[in-house]
Amino acid sequence: MIRRINIFLVLTSIAMLAGVYAVKFSIEDTARHRTELIALIDSQEGELSILKADEAVLSQPGHIEPIIKRHEVALAMTPVRQEQFGAFEALPMRPAKPNTEAMDSLFLSLEAGVDPIAAILELEGIE
Amino acid sequence: MALLTEPLGGTIALEGARKVRGNLTQARIRWMILAMVLGFGLVGGRLVQLGMVVPDHSIEGQTRDVITATRPPILDRNGLEMAVDIRVPSLFAEPRRIIDVEEAVRDLRTVLPDLKEDWLRDRLTGDKGFVWVQRELTPAIQERVMRLGIPGVDFITESKRFYPAMSEASHILGSTNIDNQGIAGIERHMDSENVALLQDLGLARGNALAPVELSVDMRVQHVMHEQLSDAMTRYQAIAAAGVMMDVHTGEIVAMASLPDFNPNEPATALVKDTFNRVTSGIFEPGSTFKTVTVAGALDSGAVSLTDQFDARFGIRFGRFTIGDFHGKHRILSLPEVFKYSSNIGTIRIMQAMGKDNFREFLTRMGFDERVPFELPEMRLPAVPETLSEVGAATVSFGHGLSVSPLHLVTAYAAFSNGGNYVPPTLYKRDATEAQQLYRRVVSPQTSEAIRYLMRLNALEGSGSQMNKAAAGYRAGGKTGTAEKVVDGRYSSNKVTNFFASAFPLDNPRYAMVIMVDEPKAENPQSGTTAGWNAGAITGRIVQRVAPMLGIAPDFSEAIDLNLVPPALR
Repeated sequence: MIRRINIFLVLTSIAMLAGVYAVKFSIEDTARHRTELIALIDSQEGELSILKADEAVLSQPGHIEPIIKRHEVALAMTPVRQEQFGAFEALPMRPAKPNTEAMDSLFLSLEAGVDPIAAILELEGIE
Repeated sequence: MALLTEPLGGTIALEGARKVRGNLTQARIRWMILAMVLGFGLVGGRLVQLGMVVPDHSIEGQTRDVITATRPPILDRNGLEMAVDIRVPSLFAEPRRIIDVEEAVRDLRTVLPDLKEDWLRDRLTGDKGFVWVQRELTPAIQERVMRLGIPGVDFITESKRFYPAMSEASHILGSTNIDNQGIAGIERHMDSENVALLQDLGLARGNALAPVELSVDMRVQHVMHEQLSDAMTRYQAIAAAGVMMDVHTGEIVAMASLPDFNPNEPATALVKDTFNRVTSGIFEPGSTFKTVTVAGALDSGAVSLTDQFDARFGIRFGRFTIGDFHGKHRILSLPEVFKYSSNIGTIRIMQAMGKDNFREFLTRMGFDERVPFELPEMRLPAVPETLSEVGAATVSFGHGLSVSPLHLVTAYAAFSNGGNYVPPTLYKRDATEAQQLYRRVVSPQTSEAIRYLMRLNALEGSGSQMNKAAAGYRAGGKTGTAEKVVDGRYSSNKVTNFFASAFPLDNPRYAMVIMVDEPKAENPQSGTTAGWNAGAITGRIVQRVAPMLGIAPDFSEAIDLNLVPPALR
């Protein structure tokens, strides 16, 4: 009886030992993986910071204006002049709507064979 | 089993088997306990030993966190980056871990030939835990050094400050040293606020710090910088500076001073004459100061816009006689005194007010002390404590005192925003915040009168050059030509020119001061007075920036007529 228990305990110890070592190795593996990831993140953050700095340089007015000046002819762009600004007050009023009823009646009478314009011209003596 | 015999036929005592085994077990248990105690003692001792080791987290006296700490990005008012952190590798060595110093020196110099052999050998020998070899290298060099595989040599990622705008906003931003601490400009101011604290706590590493938003508009800043550089060549000036301020909030929208430096190369900041002329340069303001005198006199009620002043003859003070530059030699009305920039008229206006009241008004306008402002580079103005008769006379037209362009622009902002002094700032500030800081210095009526006079000067006086370029934007201001003191005397051919202005005057939004130092005539037809250079620059700047700032041109004459105070209609 005692012997069986002993054998069982020995086997359990061996199993546990194996388990502990397995966990230890997997932890080391995870730690290595973590370090690799940290290094990768670090290098990518570095690259990102440089890219952001590049973007900032490219979007500076001081960087863009010389380019526009070089390609002034192609772009047809110059700084805005006062005369180019309009105002709402300067816009002409919307033209009056065409008198649709009068036009309709004119076309109807034309279709009916009556030409009011020719009649007016005849009245005025223009021909 | 022990057998004890006694010679006298004593008894035999036999120890029983159980007792014998019991004794043996006791002994074994003792040995076991001893072994256990020894074992645990060994482990415990090692633990204590490990606990005693102090890990070396410092780099030449500073903690690693401080070295690698980041700074918050600086943005302009539209969110464009003005300063960012870039991550760069820095090469360090641990001499106590280097096996063969000679080999390490030889290998390192194949990649970094600039390093001196003796210096490097000296650096790598010894028992130190950390020495810098070279800081702020490129990833390519890092790659090559890593390939050498020298033990005890490694890289650490540092933050380095980079300024995408190059030299365009150099005086605003200032610069940082190799340890990423601000040494000038707003960078230094930020450190004094809270960044340094964060870095000390090591919290700044890896955490995205909230960006710092400035009041500067990079587009306006660019235009101002470009126009000033243009002026340096156009008028062969030795220096030029300009500052633009929002009159309602006190926000500085642009500030430039030439010659300047490139903050990406901090060594260029040490070159002579690159100081910030807007804040730490003090100059005699010349006729631009007449606006201050007129505003003070109008506000005190001693003079009114309809008053007449005798400018027929120069004014005598003992041995001195003060005359006019382009004298009209007649009686002038107050607007004419301003328009023709008459020294005599201005002195009469000041005398009507009284020199003590005038001196008190200068104190009220803040000309006695530094302008409350964030930049560390500030200089005290030089204004006489008490004014004699002749002293008050010269000060009234801007001679015999020295103030910074920042003083002038704050005064002009107060005159044009309805009479409230608002301290300038480089940080974003909204109208409600600004209104809590308002300090009334002149009445709204005085402010209206000054706006009319500035516009009048643009239409008919020395500001006409400016108005030609900035037509439609209702700009106006006052010129100032101050003769420089050479060998203790005023020199007539070395002058500092100013143009202090505000626009659009029907609803003022921005005040601006432009300074040109020792300009020459652009061509034989032009002159060297301020209207020709500082005035023309102001006009060109207004023309470019007004559309960016949402100010539409308006050519209707009704606007200018509305500016005329009722008393003069």
